[in-house]
Amino acid sequence: MFKTILKREILHNLYSLRFILSLVLILAVFIAHSLSFVRSHPSALNSYRESRGLAVKTMQKDASGSATRLAVTQRNYDLRPRDNAFIADAKEKFLPNSLVFSAWNVFGFQNKSGSSNPFLPSYDELNWMFIAALIISFVTFLFTFDAVSGEKESRTLAQALSNSVSRGTLLFGKYLSANLSVMLILVPGVLISLLIVLSTGAASWNGSLAGEAAAYLAAAGLLTAVMAAFGLLCSVLARNSNVSLLLALSAWILFAVVIPNSSGFLAKNLFPIEKAETVMKRSNKAREDLSRAAPPGSWMMNSGNPFLPQHELRANLQRKLLAAEKQIRDAYYLNMFRQFEQTRRLIAISPVAAFEYLIEASVGGGYQRFRKVWDDLHIFQIQFQDFFTALDAKDPKSPHWFNPSEDVSTTRLPVPFETVPQFTERSMSFADRFKPAFKYLITLILMGCVVYFTSFILFVRYDVR
Amino acid sequence: MIFHIAKKEFLNNLLSARFVIGFLLCLVLIPFSILINVDDYRDQANQYRLDQAAAEKSLKEIRVYSALRPQIIFAPEPLGIFGKGISAQVGNKVWIHLGEMPLLAEGIAATRDNRFLASFFSIDFVDIAAIIFSLLALLFSFDALTREKENGTLRLQMANSLSRSKLLAGKVVGILMTLLPILVFCFLLGSVVILLSGDLSFTNSEWGRLAALAFASLIYLAVFIFIGLLVSSRTKSSVTSLVLCLFLWVLLVFIVPNLSSYFAESFVGIQSRDNLDRVLNDFDRSTLERIAVVEKNLPRPDWQMSWYMSSAEDGYRELYGLSASYFEWERQRASAVEPMRIDNADKKWGPQRAYLDSLDRQARAADFMAMISPAGIFRIIASASCGTDRATHQKRMDEVRRYRETFVRYLQGKNIFASTAYITPTPPSAFRTADALVTARTGGKFKSVKEYDDWASNQKDFRARWAVLGTVKLPNDRPDGFPYLTVDDMPRFTGRAVTVFGALEGSILRLGLILFESLILFALAYIAFIKYDVR
Repeated sequence: MFKTILKREILHNLYSLRFILSLVLILAVFIAHSLSFVRSHPSALNSYRESRGLAVKTMQKDASGSATRLAVTQRNYDLRPRDNAFIADAKEKFLPNSLVFSAWNVFGFQNKSGSSNPFLPSYDELNWMFIAALIISFVTFLFTFDAVSGEKESRTLAQALSNSVSRGTLLFGKYLSANLSVMLILVPGVLISLLIVLSTGAASWNGSLAGEAAAYLAAAGLLTAVMAAFGLLCSVLARNSNVSLLLALSAWILFAVVIPNSSGFLAKNLFPIEKAETVMKRSNKAREDLSRAAPPGSWMMNSGNPFLPQHELRANLQRKLLAAEKQIRDAYYLNMFRQFEQTRRLIAISPVAAFEYLIEASVGGGYQRFRKVWDDLHIFQIQFQDFFTALDAKDPKSPHWFNPSEDVSTTRLPVPFETVPQFTERSMSFADRFKPAFKYLITLILMGCVVYFTSFILFVRYDVR
Repeated sequence: MIFHIAKKEFLNNLLSARFVIGFLLCLVLIPFSILINVDDYRDQANQYRLDQAAAEKSLKEIRVYSALRPQIIFAPEPLGIFGKGISAQVGNKVWIHLGEMPLLAEGIAATRDNRFLASFFSIDFVDIAAIIFSLLALLFSFDALTREKENGTLRLQMANSLSRSKLLAGKVVGILMTLLPILVFCFLLGSVVILLSGDLSFTNSEWGRLAALAFASLIYLAVFIFIGLLVSSRTKSSVTSLVLCLFLWVLLVFIVPNLSSYFAESFVGIQSRDNLDRVLNDFDRSTLERIAVVEKNLPRPDWQMSWYMSSAEDGYRELYGLSASYFEWERQRASAVEPMRIDNADKKWGPQRAYLDSLDRQARAADFMAMISPAGIFRIIASASCGTDRATHQKRMDEVRRYRETFVRYLQGKNIFASTAYITPTPPSAFRTADALVTARTGGKFKSVKEYDDWASNQKDFRARWAVLGTVKLPNDRPDGFPYLTVDDMPRFTGRAVTVFGALEGSILRLGLILFESLILFALAYIAFIKYDVR
């Protein structure tokens, strides 16, 4: 009987106008997005390579001049445009995408100027994630909002239940058919998009991309399952399809528009952090206090002779200044991370938001990617510092007074650039991706189960006449 | 007759569940969106007051003209509570520098305390209105004809001496009568929230612009009513009409506006910021090289020792306790270098302008594509009414650039670069020769620089060399004894206030377009209804 119901429901969906419209709309958006990505990604990569090339040239020049200059100069490490950004850009354009470091510290991060056009209003980039989060979730509601109330209106529900079919079986048949119908719309879109992106060489097919595409389909399936459960809930809550439609639309607006776009307000009010100005003031005060307490002559500059005694005083002072500032700034950065993460955990009550975070983790992008690079850069900075310290130890002409800000009292010998450790971003491993994805995965599964179970309970008590 | 039909339609709608749920949605979402943005506005207004006070203080507490660099802070736009437009992305602070033409404003509110929050988009009244008004308009109009056809009442009505145009007009008026109270209620609710927030007050111009926003909302509502009627008059069943309307809603309200920005970014390229920075660096490097030549050619001072010196960006130098010849060297340097830096800023403006033009071109392309959708046009008009659109920001930045010119002319008019007041408050009459300075500072231990240098070159303890020069404290060696500069004659920046006409000046065509769109849609719905099979 279940098979009969499932077949009937799927055929009913497939022959419906909403299926054809959804298919056309989704295919059109997938194609438009893919063509757009194919056009913009290579130029973004070229621009990145050009800027990276210049950064490497500057490092080579510094290395050929003096090892200390190489070590103390603050450099930017810009994040490379991801090849899998067509699945989800994870708002990397708006997140910090450039990290500042030297051999002595990872100083901070910034959103590289020119990352986005400030004259364009903020918008969600069209990509696979957007299509699932906004269009697929909407289409799922369209397939389910009248699954029960619609049949009650047309009086076919009572007829169906007059057969030897349990309410649970009927509801599950409707639920599964809605899910399958939506996936029948999504899968061709994904395949066409992949075909366009791969055939034009904007991305290359490999195990990682296959895994990411599969993870996307699985996550989209999960989102569909949750939204279908909500759609059924709206359907069993109302007696006629007009009301269930309004309930479903209200739920969709809440999940897809209102909750995700209230994050900034919630972050500031529920998880406030210190103001940037306060932190800057504290940092400046710490610097002033240290400078004031420094022995006389600490600020005297004369770079001609590295062995001048004041260079030792200044090296000591600069190290203390760096340590004090680092302590204040690192604590502030941790607060920033905490505020962002706590807000996202709260926003994940919207299945659409939870889905977005799940996809972000599965493609190894967005915030998760930033944090990985941030942590890796800290490890690299210590390696770089060790390399420089060892290099300095070999130079008999160096007084070995480590000054993190000036090219003065450590080795001034050139260093072969090939021997200098280079930081390169490592792709996130499966474990790196799965760990943050897990909580959103569980959230979606639990949400889907609870909502479906509630719909089932309500359907059992539903007056089908 | 039109009135009777409209009344029937109105009462039918009023008693329907969609009216209740639609009304409840507005009741929840409108105050929520206003409250979110009132909260943001308060933060911005507080920050503005602090920044403004700091900017004023920094102008008052200076002793040399090289430190005189006004900072312009844009006040937050009160109507940004209704529609943020691009105000959250463009920043509100501009430093007026001699060596740089203002390019983009700094101090972006969204990233001030936590840069990660820039990835959280926020919703405002205009967004909610664009979503809810269009949805309600479609929900009340999608079955205006199909429902009556399904019930058989359309045929009955047509059997009377009732023209189709009157029936359609009655239905339009009925739907408008249903939705108009919701629209008015939303604006009233927003206004009440504003009035009840004690620290917020709107000027007449702002109320006027809010009325303009309400008018634009009404036309926007009408467009979607006509879309619903058109679909209803081209379909035979309510279900088909509903499905078509909902797809059109998602397409026009969500997909087209996002797609237009996405397409504009992909297909209308902007100049690379990295390239611009490189070009500007080249200009700066070349200017620095020319400055180095100037410095080299200046007669060297007899004793090049800075007793007290502060320097920072844009030519700031504050000097105390220098010898007369060193002061003269610095004066000559400033009088030659500052015009070179101003000239450099003018040269850099070419590539900067080209970069800004490319940003503007891309944004205009996005606007143009967004005009396919009534929601796109509505958002553009709404942000113009709220004074948070691109045009208003660009006008303001142009005013700032003109102000910089005025400020430069003010400094040039005073011939200040050739004056020692540019680098030190010490009056030239108090300048001493290097030998006199050494004698005074060492309490007569050394009579000349040569004597001091001979002695110092034999000292191993470098601190001792300094200590002897501090034997006697001279009155002009530190800034503390000097009063602050009085710069009351300095021209101040006064940005023009946004007026109702000024705000909508660039949107008149768009307003005309959306009106035209609504007329065309109504005409199409009318023609379709004339041909409609009412059986």
